Amino acid sequence: MKRRQQGILTGMPFMTHVSSRAFVDDAGRRIYLAKPPARVVSLAPSITEMLFAIGLDEQIVGVTEFCDFPAAAKSKAKVGYSNPSAEALIALRPELVLAPRDFLRPDLQTKLEQLKIPLFFLEAQTVEDILLQIHTLGKMFEKVPAANEVTQSMRQRIAEIRRKVETPPARRVLYVLNSQPLITVGPGSFIHQMIGLAGGVNIAAQAGMAYPKLSMEAVLKDDPEVLIFPSGEVETVPRSEQQQWRRWDSLSAVKQQRFHEVSSNLLNRPGPRVVEALEQLARAIHPEVFGSGESTGHP
Amino acid sequence: MTTLGILALTAIAVSFVCLHFGAQPIAYGEILRVFVDAVSRKEINSGTSDVATTILLHVRLPRMLLGFLVGCSLATVGVALQALLRNPLADPYVLGVSSGAALGAAVGVLLGAGTTFLAETALPAYGFAGGLLALVVVYRMAASYEQLPIHSLLLTGVILNAIFSALIMFITSILEPNRSYGMMAWLMGTLTAPTYGGLAGLAVYLSIGLFLLFSQMRVLNILALGEDSARTLGIDTEKAKRFIFVLTALVTGAVVSVSGMIGFIGMVVPHAVRLVTGADHRLLLPASALVGGTFLMGADTIARTLISPAEIPVGIITALAGGPFFVYLLLWRKDRLA
Repeated sequence: MKRRQQGILTGMPFMTHVSSRAFVDDAGRRIYLAKPPARVVSLAPSITEMLFAIGLDEQIVGVTEFCDFPAAAKSKAKVGYSNPSAEALIALRPELVLAPRDFLRPDLQTKLEQLKIPLFFLEAQTVEDILLQIHTLGKMFEKVPAANEVTQSMRQRIAEIRRKVETPPARRVLYVLNSQPLITVGPGSFIHQMIGLAGGVNIAAQAGMAYPKLSMEAVLKDDPEVLIFPSGEVETVPRSEQQQWRRWDSLSAVKQQRFHEVSSNLLNRPGPRVVEALEQLARAIHPEVFGSGESTGHP
Repeated sequence: MTTLGILALTAIAVSFVCLHFGAQPIAYGEILRVFVDAVSRKEINSGTSDVATTILLHVRLPRMLLGFLVGCSLATVGVALQALLRNPLADPYVLGVSSGAALGAAVGVLLGAGTTFLAETALPAYGFAGGLLALVVVYRMAASYEQLPIHSLLLTGVILNAIFSALIMFITSILEPNRSYGMMAWLMGTLTAPTYGGLAGLAVYLSIGLFLLFSQMRVLNILALGEDSARTLGIDTEKAKRFIFVLTALVTGAVVSVSGMIGFIGMVVPHAVRLVTGADHRLLLPASALVGGTFLMGADTIARTLISPAEIPVGIITALAGGPFFVYLLLWRKDRLA
């Protein structure tokens, strides 16, 4: 409050650098940072990965228990994930807290405002959003060259993948988030957009929600050519459950044995490794244009 | 008998309408053709490229049969509990038996007893254990009164539901996000298309429970008259009660582990049927079973088609249909509760 008033009172002409130190987050809130924060807490794995990618290892003082990449993230103090502890957070004396928008807790927000700890929301709905966020963080922490480097190489790799999947006709894809009952991703979810970028057509595009319970009848009608299952350290859709899909033998994906796994950690994190997720997806949907790379499928 | 005949015909008529509706309506002539084809081939062969056939025979029909089974079971259990506790509001959902069974099944999932909520797993056994836990508490409550006041019973249910829900929420919160999505969807009451093998397994399991419940029709009639009359007629009431309680837990456990918490059928259906058939369990029990099955089949058809290609958990539909009825009974028909 005080600092912002100072900026206003002393007048803009003298303070051209000030306006560039003001930032608007994805919830439309405006914060002002006089200098790059020396202590930052990240409340999402994707945000942690972005901070590390632009070389902020030293500034990160707190992360969530799900922040497992890069390895250095594991040794940082933990403040919880869906339910971050206000006390643990404040004890870290952060100069900035970066949070995903969906884990917004009004009580915590009020507490931070009270203590004058700036809180900044990040919400990436598209791949373009991720690139913009990395730039914003670069400006915040005066790491613009590093941020540019990261986004440039990301853009290059994305363009390369897009070039490859442009030629073959798009394939119909079903992403099986949960098998029984069947839950998938729809418009408004990040993964839905990724499927499109990777040269696929999501058969749940008509469902009109981000995580619809999809009817099996609709699946049979729309006949996906590729089935994609999330996989991870904790098998999200176990192989035994994947095998149960074999009974729908009228599906093209079953006839052609097109069952693929994509790392759920990569797919669910709108951060710098989104490029790797995109490549895994593209390989699953169009293996023929990637030559003899490692296949993500299984017999 | 005529009543049952009419109800059976209604069930068949409704099931035809339900077969027609879905993500893609299938014409009645087409439905007949598919069935004639399937029968003439003497086997249900899924190796066909005909999408309508696959949808009808392997998605819509098994799911409707499952809905019918589950609806039948819930209504039958509702009738038995209402007679046993001499309380017209008793129902597995209201009493906390369903959430007890759900907790059992959730613990089963956590322990890896089955990753899917299908009959092919050990989950019904876990559901049975959880349902039994709830019923032991209800039984103790009921045993301490000659006739348990309606409100005490409801309060018991409220408290049990609160405790079980808290534990289920805890389990959901420690599952990884993808899994918890599935768990939440299941908890709200969801029917999925089972395999015929799984359906047969569940049908056998439930048939045994239902058959034994049906064998108690006479006992239920006598129990409904009151303990004293029952004792005069030479029935060991405690033994009979315990036996029926265990059966309701067995049936509820299996149903919940497959389809989650589908509420109100066990309470609303017997009431509606009683208005027509009267209180004789020899008619009330089979009639409620038929109506319960038909009702859930219809409700699930709405759940499948309303926001297609997405689906609504059928438990939401039954709660919206049954909840207001419950309030109506509580507020305006106190005479029926007396």
